[in-house]
Amino acid sequence: MSEAAHTESHDHGHHEGLPGTIGHVTPVSTLIKVILSLLVLTVITVAIAQVDLGKFNIVGAVGVACIKATIVSLWFMHLRYDKRFNFWILVGSMLLVAWMIGYILFDTALYQNNLREYKQDKAAPATP
Amino acid sequence: MSTATDNHASQTLPARPKELAMHFDNLHQQFHSGKLGMWLFLGQELLFFCGLFTAYAVYRGNHQDLFHYCHWFLDWKLGAVNTVVLLVSSLTAAWSVRCAQLEQRTGLLITLALTFICAGAFMVVKYFEYTHKLHIGATWGGSFSVATEDLPAQLLERYPDMTGEKLKTMGAGTFFAIYFCMTGLHGIHVLVGMGIYIWLFIRALKGHFNRRYYGAVDNVALYWHIVDIIWIFLFPMLYLIG
Repeated sequence: MSEAAHTESHDHGHHEGLPGTIGHVTPVSTLIKVILSLLVLTVITVAIAQVDLGKFNIVGAVGVACIKATIVSLWFMHLRYDKRFNFWILVGSMLLVAWMIGYILFDTALYQNNLREYKQDKAAPATP
Repeated sequence: MSTATDNHASQTLPARPKELAMHFDNLHQQFHSGKLGMWLFLGQELLFFCGLFTAYAVYRGNHQDLFHYCHWFLDWKLGAVNTVVLLVSSLTAAWSVRCAQLEQRTGLLITLALTFICAGAFMVVKYFEYTHKLHIGATWGGSFSVATEDLPAQLLERYPDMTGEKLKTMGAGTFFAIYFCMTGLHGIHVLVGMGIYIWLFIRALKGHFNRRYYGAVDNVALYWHIVDIIWIFLFPMLYLIG
């Protein structure tokens, strides 16, 4: 099979770089925008943590982290321009992560009542 | 430097670029096969860390008070410095891929070295954090034993009658087991990354990479970004929220 036929990058529009370059060349302006947005989001994470949201602290922290991770994977990791299959590997992996954490949290929540009863029984004075 | 020579191939066999391994048809196929392998590995890495994130979720879900008390032990300023250091190293890693694609040899060497230096800076900060915790006895499991005067000032300010013994009974050792496992496994990944960046630097010095053969630079950068992403989650989850 001819190699030349495969060298076109998969992004649309114009393409920076030397002739025959494999893959997408990220422009410097994009790299700078990405790092700046990541730094701003880091400041936001720290700022949000100063406010006590009680049980929702974790939602704020993980929420902003998810946005940052998405930015890193789409631009720094080239997923926006890469073969779709690589993107689905990451998404598939994240679904398994969500499934595992979610399912185990449901499970641990389910037996908390039994645990509480057991502790109360143990704490109660023995009945004759 | 050898590039594609298909157009004027000899009558018998097309000449092959010297970078092309024998089991690939062309450099394009070689590049994307390597990248597919890397992504499968990274998907596995996420599941690998997922076990620890699950432990965190379950323990935090059932003992939120403990996370509130213990997160004062972690200095969020050091964590924030390390976050910025790792983000900058991700920038230089992404930039090194660009330099390899554009065959900017000096730029490639500089960005690879900067990534290595940032990784080293991260580990130095981590070293100071770890040694302080080991020094005051804020360690994993049953070995947790912190004298009350060594408790973080911010914790004592809020809860003046808190003692080291109370924290131990509440299960602070499990918090630190989770802390050391998560940050430790992440730290091991940073150390491995540093080793690989030395290897890349040597290969770049030898002029191994060009616009059609830079898969190693690209794939190591992908690994490095995943290490960065893990820290993006660890920092707020452990250092910031209580």
